[in-house]
Amino acid sequence: MTTPSASAAGTLHGTTERVALLRIAVAASVFAGSGAAATMAVGGELATVLMVSGLSAAGVAIGYLLGRRDGLTPRAVRLLLFRVSDELAQYRAFTRLLRDQGERITASTSAAAIGIVNGLTEMDSDLARLRTAIDRAAPGNATELKALADAVGSPIVSLLGQLQFQDLTQQQIDFLARLSLIVDQHMIDLAQRLGDRRSMDRTENFKEMFNKALDDCVMTSQRDDHHAAAGLDVHETSGPKVELF
Amino acid sequence: MPSTILIVDDSATILMSMEAILHKAGFTVAKAASGEDAATQLTGGLKPQLIITDIHMPGMSGIDLIRKVRTMSGLQFLPILVVTTESQQAKRDEARAAKATGWLVKPVQPDDLLKVVKQILPNG
Repeated sequence: MTTPSASAAGTLHGTTERVALLRIAVAASVFAGSGAAATMAVGGELATVLMVSGLSAAGVAIGYLLGRRDGLTPRAVRLLLFRVSDELAQYRAFTRLLRDQGERITASTSAAAIGIVNGLTEMDSDLARLRTAIDRAAPGNATELKALADAVGSPIVSLLGQLQFQDLTQQQIDFLARLSLIVDQHMIDLAQRLGDRRSMDRTENFKEMFNKALDDCVMTSQRDDHHAAAGLDVHETSGPKVELF
Repeated sequence: MPSTILIVDDSATILMSMEAILHKAGFTVAKAASGEDAATQLTGGLKPQLIITDIHMPGMSGIDLIRKVRTMSGLQFLPILVVTTESQQAKRDEARAAKATGWLVKPVQPDDLLKVVKQILPNG
């Protein structure tokens, strides 16, 4: 089974980025005075956070700085750690932007969908009135006109049904926002960890947090995506789409 | 007299599109944007012949609403359909245990919705 960290690291495109992230892992471990296992944990989590945030370029820069630690004074090392901690905190601005954009998208699709429902409903009423008017003007005749009015109106119900897409995409974007909040919280935890070694034990593992997000996946497609991101080749089967108990 | 159907969903798009579909099929439609709103309408005297509810809503969930309706006088056997994006079997079992009548996964084709509704309300 592939862990989320390993999976995220596997998506790195450049050797430079891998080296940079490895440097973060090594540096974090050395500065924290921890062992090899902690090195992998801290490095892996930092790598995951940076990759998930799409901020690998910043990761490269931080890795470069940390890689040049030889010969630095303890004060300089502390400053570098604070800098990393500060950068992590600032990344939250990006995840917040993602959530804000998501909200804008759902607000605009909601307004558009409501406008379309209103328009379709009005068209349907007008077509019904047209049919009645034709009947009144030419009772028993004008079958071609009535058939035409029916044909124009026939796709309306199907179109109304298709507007459910708005609710579905809204729920999907809401889920992404919840995921970004998890990343957010983890970045706060990591930033605190860099500044306060005693917080190590209190910080929840990113993998655990990621796995908890599965509970929020209500759609089969979401759950399949989550399994894939966790490195699992699992495709869940959902029950019938319509079922009377 | 056409049957009244109460639709409960926090999505305005779903409420409006379902209302249009059911209204066109000849049903009278009442709407509620939350479980609490639905419960208030029911205790206030609304007498629908069918409730169609979402599961995931802020505040009172669809399952909680079903449980509440089942405690209301005269509504123990009122048909309640769940229409939701939720696809987990556990939730489906929970709805069944709460005495829901049926389960439809969004997106629901209008024809499928009307077919089920007409099965439950054969007299319209």
